[in-house]
Amino acid sequence: MTVRSILLYPDPILKQLCKPAKRDDPKIDSLIQDLIDTMLDAGHSVGVAAPQIGSLSRVVVVDVSSSKLGKKEENHGLLTMVNPEIINSHGKKTMREGCMSVPDYTGNVDRAEQIVVQFIDRSGKEQVIQAGGFEAVAIQHEIDHLDGLLFLDRVSSLKTDLFRRKG
Amino acid sequence: MQHFALTIIGRDRPGIVSQVTEALYRLGCNIADSSCSILGGQFAMILIIAHPEFKDKESFGDAFTALEESGLSVFLRTLKPGGEKHAKIEGEICMISVYGADKPGIVYRVTRELGERNVNITDLNTKLIGSDEHPVYVMMIEAILPDGIDPEEIEAAMNAIKTEMNVDISLRIITPVEL
Repeated sequence: MTVRSILLYPDPILKQLCKPAKRDDPKIDSLIQDLIDTMLDAGHSVGVAAPQIGSLSRVVVVDVSSSKLGKKEENHGLLTMVNPEIINSHGKKTMREGCMSVPDYTGNVDRAEQIVVQFIDRSGKEQVIQAGGFEAVAIQHEIDHLDGLLFLDRVSSLKTDLFRRKG
Repeated sequence: MQHFALTIIGRDRPGIVSQVTEALYRLGCNIADSSCSILGGQFAMILIIAHPEFKDKESFGDAFTALEESGLSVFLRTLKPGGEKHAKIEGEICMISVYGADKPGIVYRVTRELGERNVNITDLNTKLIGSDEHPVYVMMIEAILPDGIDPEEIEAAMNAIKTEMNVDISLRIITPVEL
């Protein structure tokens, strides 16, 4: 069990493209454990991506089941995703997102409302799940980290932008 | 470091921001928080700036004269120590939308109810839309409800204004999610 510290932007690791994890790599399981430990230690967190703790492997953990928003909706509990890929998405949901790696800032981000994700689970099995709502947003946010994207790259509007489009 | 609040406003045209920020850059000022927007036909800039040596307005000399000569109004306020830091306000973030046929007093009536309950407004935008015959007023407020103030209480107060002023008001809680 190792709680690792969360890297903060401008750490360059957060802007790098992560490499696919090898299924038989023994280091992956301990990385998964560190991600879970780090997520739990940061009591309020609903997900952590490998680059946030300094690893450039395509691994994320997500668990919205204990968050105020997540527990109201159907969810998968603790998800451990190796090489996750969104294979289908639809709908649009805007949430005010923040990120442990970018403290003290939040922004409105549009994401797909429903997604289908393919990944390898902790036991090495291929999985395909459908996720919606807050869980879908959390998964998309964490997968973005694997591509070197922060929510800052996706902010869709200033706090109250109703008037900005029309000019 | 001494901080200042700088407000600049003038007829909108391309290049205002670069003109202002070039002047600040040449002075050696840092820009901390800022917000700039088009309001009507005007472009308004509000900036919190700092300078390692400047202590008061006089330190800026005639640095803003060129801006003023180009038609911009410039106002500089020297902040008291700590005036650049915002207090951490705890509470739920609440969006309030108010809209209806334009009439005097909409902003005042809504914000009076909020002020009386110590609700802190963090952002407020209003715009007059609709046609000349049927002007519609739209106001968006982002506010922080202090602990001990229930969203229902604010909703009830807003409902009273709805009837009194014949406007539509809705309120929702925004929960920022840290991921």
